[in-house]
Amino acid sequence: MNLYIQAASQISIQEPLCEDWFEHPIFYEERYQRAIDPDFKMYIPPMVARRMGKLLKRALVTSSNVVENSATQKIDAIITGSGLGCIENTEKFLQAMVQEGEDFLQPTFFMQSTHNTISSQIALHLKCHGYNSTYSHRGTSFESGLLDAFQQISLQRIDNALVGGHDEMTPDYFTLLDQIGYWKKGAINSETLRNSDSDGSFSGETSVSFMIENRKKEFSLCEIKAVDLLYKPSIERMQTAVDDLLKNHHLTLQDIDSVFVGISGDVQNDTIYRTMKNKIFQNRPLCWYKHLFGESFSASGLGMYAAAICLQKNCIPEHLFYHPQKPMNGINNILVYNHFQNKDHSLILLSSC
Amino acid sequence: MSESIVVTGMGIVTALGNGKADTMNALQKKQTGIGKMRYLQTSHADLPVGEVKMSNEEMRDFLKIPADQITTRTPLMGMIALQEAAQQAEIITKRPKKMAFINGTTVGGMEQSELFYQDFFQGVHTEYIAMHDCGAGTEAIADTIGGFDLMTTISTACSSAANAVILGANLIKTGRVDVAVVGGTEGLSKFHLNGFNTLMILDKKQCKPFDKDRVGLNLGEGAAYIVLEKEQSALERNVPIICQLSGYANTCDAYHQTASSPDGEGAFLAMRDALKDAHLQPNDIDYINAHGTGTDNNDVSESAAIERIFGENAPFISSTKSFTGHTTSAAGGVEAVISILALQNNFIPVSLNFKNKMENSTFTPVTENITDKILHHILTNSFGFGGNDSSLIFSKFEQR
Repeated sequence: MNLYIQAASQISIQEPLCEDWFEHPIFYEERYQRAIDPDFKMYIPPMVARRMGKLLKRALVTSSNVVENSATQKIDAIITGSGLGCIENTEKFLQAMVQEGEDFLQPTFFMQSTHNTISSQIALHLKCHGYNSTYSHRGTSFESGLLDAFQQISLQRIDNALVGGHDEMTPDYFTLLDQIGYWKKGAINSETLRNSDSDGSFSGETSVSFMIENRKKEFSLCEIKAVDLLYKPSIERMQTAVDDLLKNHHLTLQDIDSVFVGISGDVQNDTIYRTMKNKIFQNRPLCWYKHLFGESFSASGLGMYAAAICLQKNCIPEHLFYHPQKPMNGINNILVYNHFQNKDHSLILLSSC
Repeated sequence: MSESIVVTGMGIVTALGNGKADTMNALQKKQTGIGKMRYLQTSHADLPVGEVKMSNEEMRDFLKIPADQITTRTPLMGMIALQEAAQQAEIITKRPKKMAFINGTTVGGMEQSELFYQDFFQGVHTEYIAMHDCGAGTEAIADTIGGFDLMTTISTACSSAANAVILGANLIKTGRVDVAVVGGTEGLSKFHLNGFNTLMILDKKQCKPFDKDRVGLNLGEGAAYIVLEKEQSALERNVPIICQLSGYANTCDAYHQTASSPDGEGAFLAMRDALKDAHLQPNDIDYINAHGTGTDNNDVSESAAIERIFGENAPFISSTKSFTGHTTSAAGGVEAVISILALQNNFIPVSLNFKNKMENSTFTPVTENITDKILHHILTNSFGFGGNDSSLIFSKFEQR
């Protein structure tokens, strides 16, 4: 089975719906960044958009974008990864209940509070009766959705899938996560976060969509060769997973041009990547992406996106390299490796096509 | 045709009791678990609910959870059900090579977050913040027995657990894991009780699925998991095979965020595709454990879909939500276990509280226990908000 990314689209803290970040990355000095939203009026009729939260609008725009750009006629599956789901609506209903009591609540926010609102609203707007699912598993929500699509395509249950990673960060949830040490204290410099020796990262937002399909088109960005999820793997187990993945695709470690990792400036988080680099990835160049996109539960989706764009452009820009080096041309294989709190780990192998 | 996916273990905890034996006993005696609210603190205490008859403290004691471990009701119930399933399938003593845990939930840690929400901002009870998201509970449940190589959480509202079954089966078919423990858990929360209440779909009395005068659902809570593996894996591990998962499908109604279409398109597609997946004809199905919430909308939509598949000759149908209440994200797991118990015991449980047939419906639900039929294939439906509709088919295991 071969599987290709036909189109990708993002709304994040970089310029939305384009690849400006590739040449002109935006760096930040505040630890909390909301996404740069496009002018939603251009994409969603105002009457429809009025009822939607920000996250839903972003998801709908990036989804429509990839469906259009890949010229997909019939979508077989819509799969979303979202660590927190529609948290803004959840908070609105929760706050009303906590502050005003249980007697005069309105259903609107509850109706759109469930995690599956994104996938189901996309289905509603694209009129798609096919497979529809939502994964909400911490920092590997996106990869869980990708794994589902990957498996169903390999089992020939479906030919294509619209896969997304969508997470917003509301001011209140930012504050709550701040209470438990998710974020750095005070000002930051996202460009130099790699040198950080303190806990916490800076907060971004993710909305990224991919159209994936089992046949190559002239505009395909790259091939997805493997997806793997591992829970609390030992170093040996991790080594076996990487070895198997390479062996299955007749590759050696030297064929991997770069390993894209979720280094975020949080020393506890980053230590795991350094250990893996020393023990498993050895001399392969590391690239990072969270200095561009910030931390969020589905940020790994943007990691895969950045890797896919590099493969398409056949170049990794200077600013993505964790250890400074010149841009790299002639890219064939990128391994995207992510972990969440050293419990949930994921591997995605992308190759040029 | 690929090798059969078989079931080798089940665990369940609901308002009917703790474990398969209590569940079966209550079903046979036609004793509902729905009653007066005991544990949830809400101003809507007059609403009947299907609560698990244990406080969080009692569950912690039962599970021997260390005093310093922070946990909430949803994972506690999950731990109880997982232990029963793991024990039956002997996954700890006869370890498979690779094992997955796929959990369905939506409420996550909300049951504590809603109590401490304002405290959180003052820096009090912040230990519960990290337990709020769905995945946190999944990990806590899995870690009580350990040994899982792959894990994720599905959140498709009231079809979450059914979709966990589907992902687990696919993980086995692709050979990624040898065993998948799949299902879901959901504790009652003030949040979703109020949510359903604002939608005006809660019955203030015992729910009456498929009755002409039905007015809504009763919420329940619980957890249930089943253990899936290939026939070959069960033989190699030398564990008894309970039944097989012969087909499944997940479709989307794509009609409305919280309502089902009048013609039941999503439900129709889910049942049709599950039958196709199982290589079965509609008349092969002996019993449908319906989604049957007891809301005006669901029961009309599901009945329409059943008629589209089965015509005038619907198989036996009942909704065991009249016993357990609607256990939301856990429902697909709870009803999978009930369906498998029915299959094992050649026993069809009733729909309680049914009096009058719905207008234009082609069937009346089962109201007396049926024990004189040999059951071969059972279909169970789980439908959720957003039109997330899934159907599973369990069949008696036949060696090929």
